[in-house]
Amino acid sequence: MPRSLWTGSLSFGLVNVPVAMYSGVADRDLHFRQLHAKDHTPVETHRFCAEEDAEVPYDEIANGYETDDDEMVILTDAELAAAAPHRSRTIDIEAFVDIDDVDPIYFDHPYVLMPSGEAEGIQRAYRMLVEVMGRTERAALGRVVMRTKEYLTLIRARDERLVLTTLLWHDEVRPTDPIPAPTKKDKPAKKEVDAAVELIESFSCDWDPSRYEDSFQKELRKIVKRKAKGQTIEIPDDEGEQPSPVPDLMAALERSLEEAKSR
Amino acid sequence: MAPRSLWNGSIAFGLVTVPVKVYTATESRSVHFREVHAKDGSRIEHRRICPKEDKAVASDEIVRGYQVSARKWVELTDEEIAAAAGTQTRLIDVDHFVPADEIDPVYYDKAYYLGAQDKGRDAYALLLAALEKAGRAGVGRWVFHNRERTVIVRPLDDVLALHTMRFADEVVEPSDFELERVRRKPSEQEIKMAGRLVDGLHTDFDPADHEDSYREAVLELVKAKAAGKNIELPEPEEAESADDLLAQLEASLSA
Repeated sequence: MPRSLWTGSLSFGLVNVPVAMYSGVADRDLHFRQLHAKDHTPVETHRFCAEEDAEVPYDEIANGYETDDDEMVILTDAELAAAAPHRSRTIDIEAFVDIDDVDPIYFDHPYVLMPSGEAEGIQRAYRMLVEVMGRTERAALGRVVMRTKEYLTLIRARDERLVLTTLLWHDEVRPTDPIPAPTKKDKPAKKEVDAAVELIESFSCDWDPSRYEDSFQKELRKIVKRKAKGQTIEIPDDEGEQPSPVPDLMAALERSLEEAKSR
Repeated sequence: MAPRSLWNGSIAFGLVTVPVKVYTATESRSVHFREVHAKDGSRIEHRRICPKEDKAVASDEIVRGYQVSARKWVELTDEEIAAAAGTQTRLIDVDHFVPADEIDPVYYDKAYYLGAQDKGRDAYALLLAALEKAGRAGVGRWVFHNRERTVIVRPLDDVLALHTMRFADEVVEPSDFELERVRRKPSEQEIKMAGRLVDGLHTDFDPADHEDSYREAVLELVKAKAAGKNIELPEPEEAESADDLLAQLEASLSA
């Protein structure tokens, strides 16, 4: 059982469900350690006070905020918790929204919310929330404070459990207007769009995440094995050239469609 | 000010290539703190220490290693690790298309915007228009920062957005967590009442309706502390537990 990252209460009207939050992401990466080159002793990271040149135990470390006039304001974790004591322990469901209404650009990190406590009442209230959200295909919006940040969260039912996705705040998504976009005079002809749509359709399928595998991690494991046997690792070529744009879009589309059909 | 692009290359879609620039789409707005020594606010440095010699190790004396057995480490250089990404290309090969609304939110990792390059704007406009009309997102592979990722490309406003996606084995299945048995499942009546509560709270999602009030609260705290005020530490609150579900639902509905 993984460790919970947050525990508190999910509040829906006057119903309070004690919950524990777990990460929805599993780290599958190969991890490397920093080693002392001469004898391969793993090095450790220690915190030092720059002024005293001495090691500082963890409980003597606080959060520093530099003001505009270069003053350092010091806040302990306990003091920071005073900024939003209620939201550090409770997710109040503020509203329900249709999941499709939320653009994926806002999705941040996934978590799983499980009932915390074996009491029948807790388990039943949790199941009721799962049931009602599953039936309506709606997601709950609520806020939570974790560590030193407040998150807007989207809570929905999945596999008879509640899952939570933290969302970015609207001002954390950059505006698209400074991004160079095509202009009116780049507007494609209707027959070009139709041909491109036909090409898209011919390469369409369902979203199936199991199709994709992390080939980088797979290769990296092979490289570690080869290196362990004392073999040399070949460094591949540098970045290739960027292909130049095609001169005739329609001709390229037609040829692509022919190739797609002859598959 | 025009933002700086992170990567330049092309999307390959059939035999059509679309020259693009990649821009970051998101930025954190949290109040930023640094680690300081609590007693006087001095800067904290992270130093790398060799525990055997009990002294600091200079960065040029540090290598990266992977542990293959209790005493054996395999040393790898950055270039050797990067070699796992294969040949670096300037191409995002989009070779199939999926309905974007079928993708569960858990798969979305980081978001970027794709900008058009000066050459090949017509191809960019075509891909944008065709994806919009087909209602689909393109799926491809992208090598960025020496690492290959699965990405989707989809229309967003007047530009293309690119999302790096999590791999299936990185996503935790909710069913991996065990549910306790209940003697009595929630009743139809309870679920119906909860449903009425849900309907009553139903609204359209507009991100601009929600502001991060915590940032302000934290900055207020900083101001109070800078002015020498005492910060009152909050008392733990006791949440009421869900004993009588039906009564609580009724009370919520009449509230």
